[in-house]
Amino acid sequence: MSILTESVQALLQDSKAAKVLATVDKQGIPHLVSDNTITVNDEGQIIYLELIETSRSNVNLVNSIWFKRKVAIHLSKGEESFQIKGYPVYSVISGPVFEHYYKLALERNPEFDLSTVWIIEPDEITDDTYTARKNKERDEHPLITHLDRLAK
Amino acid sequence: MDKYKDVSPFVIIKSDVTRRSFIYTDRALGALDKSKHQYQQRVLIGSNGDENAAVPVSLLLRDGTSIIGMPSKTAKNPYVVDQIDGKLVLTDQGEIVEEVHYWYKPDYYDKFTSSGTPMWQVASSRPQRLEIDPNSHCHFWNKGNGCKFCNINANSAQSEKECNMSKQLTAQDVYETVKEALKQPGAFTNIKMSSGSILSGAEIFDDEVDMYIEMLQAAGDNFKDKKFPSTIVASAFSEKQLARLYENTGLMTYTSDIEIPNEALFAWICKGKHKEVGYAEWKRRIIRAVDIFGAGNVSSGIVGGCEMAQPHGFTNEDDALKAVLEEAEDFASQGVSIVHCVWVPMHGSAFHNQQNPSLEYYVRLAKGLSDLRKKYRLNVDMDNYRKCGNHPDSDLDRGNLE
Ligand code: SF4
Repeated sequence: MSILTESVQALLQDSKAAKVLATVDKQGIPHLVSDNTITVNDEGQIIYLELIETSRSNVNLVNSIWFKRKVAIHLSKGEESFQIKGYPVYSVISGPVFEHYYKLALERNPEFDLSTVWIIEPDEITDDTYTARKNKERDEHPLITHLDRLAK
Repeated sequence: MDKYKDVSPFVIIKSDVTRRSFIYTDRALGALDKSKHQYQQRVLIGSNGDENAAVPVSLLLRDGTSIIGMPSKTAKNPYVVDQIDGKLVLTDQGEIVEEVHYWYKPDYYDKFTSSGTPMWQVASSRPQRLEIDPNSHCHFWNKGNGCKFCNINANSAQSEKECNMSKQLTAQDVYETVKEALKQPGAFTNIKMSSGSILSGAEIFDDEVDMYIEMLQAAGDNFKDKKFPSTIVASAFSEKQLARLYENTGLMTYTSDIEIPNEALFAWICKGKHKEVGYAEWKRRIIRAVDIFGAGNVSSGIVGGCEMAQPHGFTNEDDALKAVLEEAEDFASQGVSIVHCVWVPMHGSAFHNQQNPSLEYYVRLAKGLSDLRKKYRLNVDMDNYRKCGNHPDSDLDRGNLE
């Protein structure tokens, strides 16, 4: 069962939400792509459609699936913000799933030539709003704050 | 795997499964859906399958890496493909190693050309490549000089007898099958043609060149532009023949296999090629093809590990690997990628009783060849993991792009 709650899955399905995929290369250098077509499948796995076979993201994803390295997805809309980390588990390059997304990509833009359907298994999810992060810090690190906040 | 932490585990698994071969459990065979998966295929070397046995033609790993091979009933220590908890998996001594998938059947497969030929007998399909092998008879065998690892004529004779599969294709069948295949969006990125060598003609291989021109033109009639992503795996043609081929067809890349990158062993294992053309000239012709197709657009295949065939091959893996990589570097420095397959001592080949080298040998070979491409900045788009899928070394390149 997916760790993604219904509201997070709904946000992933919302094309108006901002979605950013972060990967790292072999040297640990990060790389970001912003892509609001990132979505979720019926199994609660994240779908990223790579349009450029030789892109930095694609190469990083290849190395992630090979060497079990995590990737991160940042997801936000209005007051909501989440960070999901997970492992690429399938690099789909042919067959019915690939062809389904190939046609979908073509409908979005006839120029799009889909390279790979990446399926990412979410492994951890955090509420990434300022309030949630600050509350967590206050609970776990009560000594880290400016005193003026505590003055009468 | 622990020793080679920087090498894709999928590529290591692929090499080992190919090397040791595999079998299917009844449960795994029960998961084959004849309406969805491929169980018949026209191949030059290997086996074309058997309708009655309905065995999947090949396997695909989670990362898109192909394992190309048919199960072997006589393998001594094979992997076992099983179905466990609803998933197809490779197992080794009862332990699950990795998930696998059967290759899907493209839409054209069950259709027929206007002459009544089943389209699957005209074009095979790898996960993203159309494979058209217009002639599955090699003239080198006529005088008993076929390459010792190869079973082409035994395979095509058996298929002709048992499945009425013609050894030669017609241009019209090729045209119609490619036309049908292109109706499936996203299914293919490349067309590859290959054939047994045809020695006849005014100059040796002239008739083979004519055959490719006819077939490539037939396939090419389906494309808007003259050139289309394509390759042939052919005999080593002269500069004149290559120019004729390039100018008259949509061909973009070219492969001619040196097979065993060592002159003395080539003379023994590929006796026909050596007698008719010779190692040095075969090599020279491959390198000259770079002038026409460009660096990186010419490759040459080797039967990895066959350099250790006995009694004349290397007896020490380090020596064999050193010799192979040195010769591969000479090719790479002149713009030619060397790609390897894993040598499987096949039925129907002269070497069917031989033993292939260790897994470690194959891991070092794949890494060595991939590293050479990096050093000489050769891209392997023409023969990458989703085009051919039979080369562990070019599978590695997708993780190495700069
Ligand atoms: S040239 Fe050698 S490898 Fe190629 S088809 Fe003929 S016998 Fe087989």
